[in-house]
Amino acid sequence: MRVGFPLRNLRRLGNSVCVAALTTGFLIRPAALPAQEAGIAVGARAPAVVVHDLDGNPVDIGRFIGKKPVLLEFWATWCERCEELLPRVRAAHAEFGDRVEFFGVNVAVNQTPDRVKRWVADNKPPFTTLYDDQGTSTRAYSAPTTSYVVVVDRAGKVAYTGTGGTQDISAVLRAVTDR
Amino acid sequence: MGPCTRSAIAACTLLAAAVPLAAQGGGTPTAIVVSGPDVGRQAPDFTLPWASKDGVGPADAGYQLWRDRGKTVVIAFYPRDFTSGCTAEMRTFAEQYDSLFGPEVVVVGISTDSVETHARFASSLNLPFRLLSDPNQKVAAKYGSKGEGYARRTVYVVGPKGDVTYRNLQFNSLDPKHYQDLAGAVRSARGG
Repeated sequence: MRVGFPLRNLRRLGNSVCVAALTTGFLIRPAALPAQEAGIAVGARAPAVVVHDLDGNPVDIGRFIGKKPVLLEFWATWCERCEELLPRVRAAHAEFGDRVEFFGVNVAVNQTPDRVKRWVADNKPPFTTLYDDQGTSTRAYSAPTTSYVVVVDRAGKVAYTGTGGTQDISAVLRAVTDR
Repeated sequence: MGPCTRSAIAACTLLAAAVPLAAQGGGTPTAIVVSGPDVGRQAPDFTLPWASKDGVGPADAGYQLWRDRGKTVVIAFYPRDFTSGCTAEMRTFAEQYDSLFGPEVVVVGISTDSVETHARFASSLNLPFRLLSDPNQKVAAKYGSKGEGYARRTVYVVGPKGDVTYRNLQFNSLDPKHYQDLAGAVRSARGG
């Protein structure tokens, strides 16, 4: 069985996942996701990509890959689930921000840099904001949707992928930083 | 493994809340069998029931591709209404309609959802185009877009003569380059 997270931690998260499944009303009939919607494989080496910031300056994520854990969240200003997830990302950053590099990759679809800058100024997210106007990281990490979170361990391998507004980011980072 | 057992996890697939994607079996490379019409080939005709933001279309007046001969038609297959990737794609189509498609272009989205669900989805996003219901993926199969339970995310541009002028069988709803390529293909098909 492939899991996107070490089993001992999935046990910890099991209750919340099941409760969420039963309470959110989003449960759809089981079926395989199209392969193109599946995201990057857990265990894969994290791609070292260069993405622009909101001022057009290149940011080399590869500078951090393999040196410290990295969190990437693919987001957009119109993404309700990203908004729902933000407090959890803030809480995780408060606990792990000194040990984990946080990037928020705006997907630059149906967005403009000015709109994103305004949102960042208003909301002050706890991550370094990138603007992937070329789709470089979206393709490299096979991002299937906004609110898609990828956590890379300090060895440079993908340790977790997930989507949605109720991801337990702190639990994921606890596991990664405990290793 | 606690209360969320393997069977429960299987039942939790496509959960829109918090689900580690790889726990859904994701990340495993899958070979894609391409069987849809290539560029230059005639687009297979089809008739499907439809809905729009204004409601469900008449049962005896399904959407027929051949009736739009002479126009540029964009056909977008997608997995599921109200899921985040599909919402991102359809919202972008709607809000960037003029720059992506322009006037005189017909856009249709196709998924396995019912026309009733389509009507709610189209209304929720104020979509300026129709959504077609292909529950058994018969049309998706003709276009190489059939998936396991859900259509794969693909786009086709059909030119005024009825031939395929562009296709992307790996359309990514978050990739700005894919939208740019689509817009360019539509401009070319319109002769501009």
